[in-house]
Amino acid sequence: MWLQPMVNLFKMDFRRFISNKMMYVLLMVFSAFQIFGIFMINQYEEPTEHGGLLTSAMNESQFIQSMLAQTPSWVMIYIAVFTVYFYMSEYNSGFYKNYITLSRARINSVLSKILIQGVFTLFIFVVFILSDLIGRTIFFEQATIGDIGYFVKLLIGQIVLHWSFSIMILCITIIMRNIIASIVISIALVLNVFGMVLGVLESLITDLNLTSYLLVNTITNRTIDFNNLGDFIHVFSVAIIVMLVFSLIALNYKIREDLR
Amino acid sequence: MSNVIIEVNQLTKKFKSTLAVRQADFKIYKGEIFGLIGQNGAGKSTLLKMIGGLVYPSTGKIHLFNSEMNANHPYYERMGLLIENAGLYPQYSAYDNLKFVAMSYGLKDHLKHINELLELVGLSRTNKTKVKNYSMGMKQRLGIAIALMGSPDVLILDEPINGLDPQGISDIRNLILDLNSKGITIIISSHILEELSKVATKYAIIHKGEIIEIHSKEELLLKCEDRIEVEVSDVKMATPILEEHLNIGNYKVMNDHTVCIYDSHIENYRIVNALVENGISVHSIMKHKQSLEQYFLERTESVVTAHG
Repeated sequence: MWLQPMVNLFKMDFRRFISNKMMYVLLMVFSAFQIFGIFMINQYEEPTEHGGLLTSAMNESQFIQSMLAQTPSWVMIYIAVFTVYFYMSEYNSGFYKNYITLSRARINSVLSKILIQGVFTLFIFVVFILSDLIGRTIFFEQATIGDIGYFVKLLIGQIVLHWSFSIMILCITIIMRNIIASIVISIALVLNVFGMVLGVLESLITDLNLTSYLLVNTITNRTIDFNNLGDFIHVFSVAIIVMLVFSLIALNYKIREDLR
Repeated sequence: MSNVIIEVNQLTKKFKSTLAVRQADFKIYKGEIFGLIGQNGAGKSTLLKMIGGLVYPSTGKIHLFNSEMNANHPYYERMGLLIENAGLYPQYSAYDNLKFVAMSYGLKDHLKHINELLELVGLSRTNKTKVKNYSMGMKQRLGIAIALMGSPDVLILDEPINGLDPQGISDIRNLILDLNSKGITIIISSHILEELSKVATKYAIIHKGEIIEIHSKEELLLKCEDRIEVEVSDVKMATPILEEHLNIGNYKVMNDHTVCIYDSHIENYRIVNALVENGISVHSIMKHKQSLEQYFLERTESVVTAHG
């Protein structure tokens, strides 16, 4: 069966993924900082001048949206670090040479890494929500979820957006083949440097607001209403286009790459 | 059916402005141990990477098992590679590294297979030790075990004895001979001809990306054997004299004027006397004693001179 070699490589990558201490360290540090962040919000929270909702009074959906809207987004930073680490640890060790003679190994290896990124994104969101719930329970003395339907849509939308972000980082890492360069570009993306520059240029030329369709702008846009069909389509179309474009670039590059 | 396992035609690889391999042509037959000898940077690894499917040729063709290779050809699966350093995760044990590879191959009974391989390369006692604590020799042996995971027909070993101590070199040599005796065709590269000569059955000398000579083991040993080279006026008349008067049977006529005698115990003056007494002019006589290493250096230097 043509799918079996890809499944085999995924099993291999998944075993490395779950037996990798780095992954657990990243998730634990992320969780600790998330809870610490909630503590800091609790310490220094002040009512906004415009009568906005206090962070401590937000439900989980509102809280997630407000957290993800902050630049730089810690979730994206952790995803970027893990993506670069996971790919480069295999590349630098030369382990790929052990399976590269397998049928369609180059293609399957990229597809397997993409799936692993999806699993990591899922894991980090689970840790994100659990840490939020723990932190909010301890420091805000409330951990309401709010509308469950909206919460689920928000989660699915953000997980898919972050997964597509990780694929973009994977593609950059495959092309750069260098940890430092990949991390620097990732941080610039997380800081939305490119989005801001393009936004300024766009505002000089037109008022179409096409940059709102950029991936990082979509992730950090707190005004997106996941109950609104238009917003929902916006989120999924951005995520799917980014996934497809960067997956195809990564695959195409890998197929042609001269391996050292 | 042809016994040619690998056929390389006009294989060239250019990296930007560097010509790493230039128009390589050779055939490797089933059961051979094909030794690729060349200095560091001669193009050995690039050539092996092209054969193993890691690097794409700029021009030229590779035929594997009589099929022309292209990217992702299933015949690559019949190869095991150990190119440059073994590709290992240092924070995992030998067992874990082998298990990862076994999973990528989709092997069901991988525990038995892993244990057999660890036993074969002599690492069964240290299978739980992290690879980062392994010596260079142990890493190379683990690399060979990994290369054997898919039960390959062809094993490509690039500098497998690099950084090994004498015992390690001896172990790898015995392992290579053992694997070859089980029917695995082996391509092995090294810059140490003396060591390669203990295992290889055919040799290709590569220099600055170019295959400059290919010899069978017998041919190479003949070239390096102790010999007396005699240059005479007429070699056809000289050889019967050598046979009848000096009882020399082990000689080789090189051209119309030169004969090589592979019996270095005979004194030069006896050869000269016998030939001159029978009316043969002797232009020169010289004793040659050459190690394989010297031969290799001579060949690569002559290429440098020829290329200016």
